[in-house]
Amino acid sequence: MLWRDVCLNCVNRKQVQSQACYLDRDFVVMATRTPPREETPAGNPVDKEWVSEHARQVSRMLPGGLSVLGVFIITDTEAKDTLTTLRQLVFAMESLVSSEQLWSPAEDDVSDCVALHVNRKTRKTFCRTFDVKDPKSTAKPADWRYQAGVCSSWSMVSCCLHVDLLVPLPDNKTDPENMDKCLKEELRGWAQRLESGVCLMDGRKLAEDAELPGGQKRNVRQTYTAQILVTPSEQRLADEEQRCGGSVSIRGAVHSRAYLHSNKPKARLAQKLLKRDAVATVTTRVQMLLEELLTSEDENKSSSKQKRELFCLPHRVFCPLKASGPLCVCDYQFSDESVCEVTERLKEMLDIDAAEEDLDSSQEAPGEITEREVGAEPTVETVVALEPKRNSFIGVAMATAVALLATAASMLYLNDV
Amino acid sequence: MVVTDSSDSGTILRVRGPLEFKCQLDSTDARLMQKVISRTFATLHSQVKSESCVLTVCDSSLIIWPNKGVYVTPEEITPNTLCEDIHQWIQTDEQESAGKRSSKKKNKKSSAASVINLRLMMEVTKTGPLSAPILRRTLQKSHFLSTTLPMDCVVRTTCSDTIKDAFERLLEALTHQLCEMEKVTLQHMKGATLLVPEPLHFLLPEPKGLVTVVYPVGVPDSQLETHRKELHQQFELPDDWPYFRRANAFHFSNEPYKDGYLRNPHVVLTHPTLDNGKVYLVQGIYSYHHYMQDHMDDNGWGCAYRSLQTICSWFTQQGYVERAVPTHREIQQTLVDVGDKQGSFVGSRQWIGSIEVQVVLNQLLEVTSKIMFVSQGSELASKGRELANHFLTEGTPIMIGGGVLAHTILGVAWSETTGQIRYLILDPHYTGAEDLQVITDKGWCGWKGPDFWDQTAYYNLCLPQRPKVI
Repeated sequence: MLWRDVCLNCVNRKQVQSQACYLDRDFVVMATRTPPREETPAGNPVDKEWVSEHARQVSRMLPGGLSVLGVFIITDTEAKDTLTTLRQLVFAMESLVSSEQLWSPAEDDVSDCVALHVNRKTRKTFCRTFDVKDPKSTAKPADWRYQAGVCSSWSMVSCCLHVDLLVPLPDNKTDPENMDKCLKEELRGWAQRLESGVCLMDGRKLAEDAELPGGQKRNVRQTYTAQILVTPSEQRLADEEQRCGGSVSIRGAVHSRAYLHSNKPKARLAQKLLKRDAVATVTTRVQMLLEELLTSEDENKSSSKQKRELFCLPHRVFCPLKASGPLCVCDYQFSDESVCEVTERLKEMLDIDAAEEDLDSSQEAPGEITEREVGAEPTVETVVALEPKRNSFIGVAMATAVALLATAASMLYLNDV
Repeated sequence: MVVTDSSDSGTILRVRGPLEFKCQLDSTDARLMQKVISRTFATLHSQVKSESCVLTVCDSSLIIWPNKGVYVTPEEITPNTLCEDIHQWIQTDEQESAGKRSSKKKNKKSSAASVINLRLMMEVTKTGPLSAPILRRTLQKSHFLSTTLPMDCVVRTTCSDTIKDAFERLLEALTHQLCEMEKVTLQHMKGATLLVPEPLHFLLPEPKGLVTVVYPVGVPDSQLETHRKELHQQFELPDDWPYFRRANAFHFSNEPYKDGYLRNPHVVLTHPTLDNGKVYLVQGIYSYHHYMQDHMDDNGWGCAYRSLQTICSWFTQQGYVERAVPTHREIQQTLVDVGDKQGSFVGSRQWIGSIEVQVVLNQLLEVTSKIMFVSQGSELASKGRELANHFLTEGTPIMIGGGVLAHTILGVAWSETTGQIRYLILDPHYTGAEDLQVITDKGWCGWKGPDFWDQTAYYNLCLPQRPKVI
């Protein structure tokens, strides 16, 4: 009985608003195997934390419109035996992934996650969904169908968004943990401002129920450029004056994009997904940077607290899922990393074999440290180079078992080749 | 101060929007603090002048980038489109507010200039690719100031103004307002505390029109007299009307009053035309107080109290006093306090008359009043000149009591040659809801003839005198 290699599906949610549940469809665009953990010997029960962490890392690599949909397992056992485990996995994973999301959930968010069981011997699939908003929800049956041409009718909305945030740090509490708290607070406010901002598509303001224009030709990929207009939050009319021990500012631009599965996507959905991607990409990068700072400052306890430090947030690199499809996943590259580290991570997390030429780093330029404050006293500004010490998922490949699974898994890839 | 040109029935463009003001004050040295503040204002100036500055027309899909050659979307509109054509793009509510006549088509012309509301926003997207973000951590003990500047600018346009003209002027107005705000902020700084500079609009007599002044929030009117004196000099205004007190700020028609009372219901009436006659009306703003309001059932006995409340509201609205309109109980208590009534008066349903009104106005609001006495109602027909003079010089509502009723007189229409007279009456005996249509249709606020009065009863009139201050 092999409880090995629980895998994850990365899918796109098609937001079909309809009365009958059976009309809801989610499109799975990719199934990714969770890399095996180093220390786990065979025969152990599925490691929830490990899988959830994989899900968290993967969801950071998905642009808007794509999200981790659920879990699948390929095993010899009967479906009914794995259902409980799958259910636990789904909830654990969803809870970790959503804890990183700083936007407020919308009413029309679909909250069903998928648990798929594949019987390795019979190749039979057993698919159930759970409503992760309801801790008491029971498994609902769902249909698992292979479909060709899923990826051909995607539209993409994108924009280049300028970020300019300034947050005070409390007195005597300027360590990375407090920075994290303060920044999260500020990012939440920023997310709210974005959410209530006006979104233009290709230069026009559309009614929410309107469909994005174009989409006449079936196989032509539609791309839209969005513009977002915001007002600072009205609620902050109360003036604040506080003693602080310092401040943190984040200035620069991010490339944000969302994929929509439809010839005629609705403006409201496009806006929502794009804005969420914008929030996610900034949050993710800040998280990554703070994670690095935390580990590096832990190690250098005697680090002299420089008065002013500048850190570059990693820039976003895109990698197409398949050569022909328009869908891309992304990764973040720190300024001192090389491109091959990106391809390694893509392989590890998403099992994608990407060549360096396939990667698109043109959407963002790496952060440049050339700005100086007008009128500031000349101080030595240190640029701290961080060595990424990311949790490695290097798994020792166990030859036979993996080979078997690899063959079994390839059946599930919804390739449009 | 931004002065808008006045011309007949143009359109007023009003842009509002918050601008974030954030800065760190490293030292407590006043000069250094001022430098930081000025620098922060300079950043805001460049924001407003940048290509990211956007003005959106409320309730429409119109968006204008004033610093990109006044670029407009949707593209059917160009910078050379006439400003007043913007109206056609605005979606008005189907439901009109209570009391207006049945809705006509959208382009109904009213006598007052129409207002187009705009929002000040910032575009956060740019054409990429741009540099990925940099995080800067500064460790420095300091004061962090964070507030929002409530930008509010007004520009009056004529029918021949294009969007380009108007929006360039709007941008100038925004820049100018930032300068004013900086001045006011620096002037009223106390240590590291900033007072929010708040713009208010004031309607001056034609041809001056709407004027915008920035006052610091939290500083009461009483401490801003010097500022107001300068303004009066600048605009050559007489010193006997408080044009620039905060309470006199211009009220835009699309903003409902939060307290729910109707303001100046008489303005929707058609005033009588008499041969060689003129209309003399109350000046400024009052709110309509009548029976049954505020969950107070004073039906049958409270009419004079309500008239007094209407008069008090006038003094509050014009900024002469900063107290709320007194309740029946407060009115009664005041009369007890001055010794005019016994203690048992409080909580009773006893009537009051014009003398009591005079006493309360004096005691609570420090307002003096003249009393006019007529021995019979028919004599009121001959009081045209006095009443006209009152409205000309004082402009306050008049309380009239006699027989068993009390009313408020808001104006007279009087002909010097023929002696014809009409009285604009606000009736406190109304018991219904604040429905302007009902109140005006049924005559609860309306013009009455001399036969309105009981011809044989005697009447006392209380004519409140306006304090001659600014």
